Amino acid sequence: MERSIIHLNVADFAAAVERTLDPRLAGRPLVIARPAAARATVFDMSEEAFREGVRKGMPLARALRLCPQARLLPPRPERYARAMRLLLEAALPYAPRVESGRADGHLFLDATGTRRLLGPPMDVAWRLRREVRDRLGLSPIWTLAPNKLVAKAASRLVKPEGEYIVAEGEEESFLAPLPLELIPGLERRDLAALGAFRLRRAGEVAALALEELRILCGERAAFLHEAVRGIDPSPVRAAGDPAPEVGGEERFDGETADEGELFAAAARLAERAGAELRRLRLAARRLRVSLRYADGGSAHRRVPLLSPTADDFLLRDAVRRAAAAAWRRRVRLRGLALACEGLVFPPAQLTLFPDAGAPGKGRPRLMAAVDRVRRRFGEEALRVAAALPPRAA
Amino acid sequence: MSAACEIRVGTCGYSYPEWVEAGFYPPGTRAADMLPLYARHFPVTELNFTWYQMPKAPALERMLRLAPPGFAFTAKLTRTLTHEVDPGQWRGQAALFREGISPLLEERRLLAVLLQFPASFVRDPASRLYLARLIEELEGLPLAVEFRHASWAEERVFRELERRRVTLAVLDVPPLPGLFPTVEAVTHPGLFYVRLHGRNARGWRSGNLQQQFDYDYAEPELRAWAEGPIPRLAARAARGVVVFNNHVRAQAARNALGLQRLLAASGLLPAPPPWSAASST
Repeated sequence: MERSIIHLNVADFAAAVERTLDPRLAGRPLVIARPAAARATVFDMSEEAFREGVRKGMPLARALRLCPQARLLPPRPERYARAMRLLLEAALPYAPRVESGRADGHLFLDATGTRRLLGPPMDVAWRLRREVRDRLGLSPIWTLAPNKLVAKAASRLVKPEGEYIVAEGEEESFLAPLPLELIPGLERRDLAALGAFRLRRAGEVAALALEELRILCGERAAFLHEAVRGIDPSPVRAAGDPAPEVGGEERFDGETADEGELFAAAARLAERAGAELRRLRLAARRLRVSLRYADGGSAHRRVPLLSPTADDFLLRDAVRRAAAAAWRRRVRLRGLALACEGLVFPPAQLTLFPDAGAPGKGRPRLMAAVDRVRRRFGEEALRVAAALPPRAA
Repeated sequence: MSAACEIRVGTCGYSYPEWVEAGFYPPGTRAADMLPLYARHFPVTELNFTWYQMPKAPALERMLRLAPPGFAFTAKLTRTLTHEVDPGQWRGQAALFREGISPLLEERRLLAVLLQFPASFVRDPASRLYLARLIEELEGLPLAVEFRHASWAEERVFRELERRRVTLAVLDVPPLPGLFPTVEAVTHPGLFYVRLHGRNARGWRSGNLQQQFDYDYAEPELRAWAEGPIPRLAARAARGVVVFNNHVRAQAARNALGLQRLLAASGLLPAPPPWSAASST
């Protein structure tokens, strides 16, 4: 079945919303951050500030050095959430399935099979854009493609405004000349692994066979092999569908006061969550880690991730950090639970700050081997030692 | 003279999944395979998506590779130059359009850029000035203008188009007040351009393309065009494009095939090109 997926994207959503409320902000660099915070980071910025090098998550001090003339505004998440709700309401009549993320200005509409009722999908997209512009004063990008991955890549290509139509059958040739950073779902470590072989464009990676890719990228090869070809079967979730829950719980046999045992449980939870996130083609922005004490009490910690990820190793480190931080009482533990929050379609990866912790060449190969063994002999056939209880390890 | 006129009949757009259900494309035809199949029946198509999306050279180059030799295109001018004009930005948009459409021009496959103006584009000093500036900005591209508002049906307008060597689109539309009527004027000896929109008077202003362009031309209506206006236009132009826009349920394709048969029977169309389908479905 050929699909018609519309991606509607208000670029720099927070800055765009602020501008609808104060037109004097138009055309000037705008940085949204909480200046009072001790180590404030950039929440969002306008295109003008982006061009000066300002990025989301960057320390505010650095952002202001790069763009000293920027107008600084505090983030007002409730404003963005309200604008997002209005955006979703505007879109609902245009497709039977509309997927809305958090308040980030992204919507996916599944216009498959609605042509007779609503007209050609490109006309639907154009009319929706017009309505959003007239009603909300926002000026979204729209793209139309056979799936979410290609539609989102097209949005990134035309950002900060414009439109793009990728016809069915054109996915691979459309992506081929694009830098890998624009392909949704690619993570920093993928870019590092591929960049080490001077692979910078989707077409260069698409020229590799799956086996070759496996040598470079290990267990990520299957995903990458599809992504650079513009293959993405993931569905548009209907508005109101609850976001899928990713996470789980580990209970200790009896109770434990052993940090090693806690860390092993953390690694197992992270592994399972990472696999599930990758299957859903999502990434987590935050983790919520809960400790159950033996006396019935509990402690929770929320940790933000540096950038949204589905990487087992990054997840594992974050779960461990959070668990260690949460364990403040001198009381034995009964269990550990993990919930992945802020699930998003994986963001574009910027290579501005090369990741010192990026995995070497050996690890992906090891992971690929582990994956193959597990597929054949089952999940328990091989374990990363970190996931084993300390005595067994 | 008329024998020398090279007439091409086709449809507005070719990528319609519902044309598979309607039987024009074989069952299971994917969007990517439609252009080669379409080109077995018709030597021209009018690109519709360039109205929605600023054309991008790489995309048009990919499309060109799917079209057989000799197949030609016309392309609608992007909406930011006809329907949603920003006074501060339209020149930049015109430059982008010129750049995006260049593969068709370089390959000599572009018969016309269609400047289609909405019914709200009424003939007044501001509109006349804009149209003149737009034509100058697009200098060098083969241009055709379609008006929807009757105020443009003036001899002075036709003379000015003639002076600027711009084709006036000849329309077939429902008989509704205020609509630009059928005017058999040839304003450019290089090209006449006929657009048949159907005559669905009730659906025309519904705001829904599926209703606006839901119409099936009857044989006598096609015959009237094949025997009246088309030969007369052909007598005064070197080339001609006739496209059907009543795309709902592939009526456009069926009507275009019917018109081709009629024109061939009266000697106005040459023998079908070798790559054309032998059948006359």
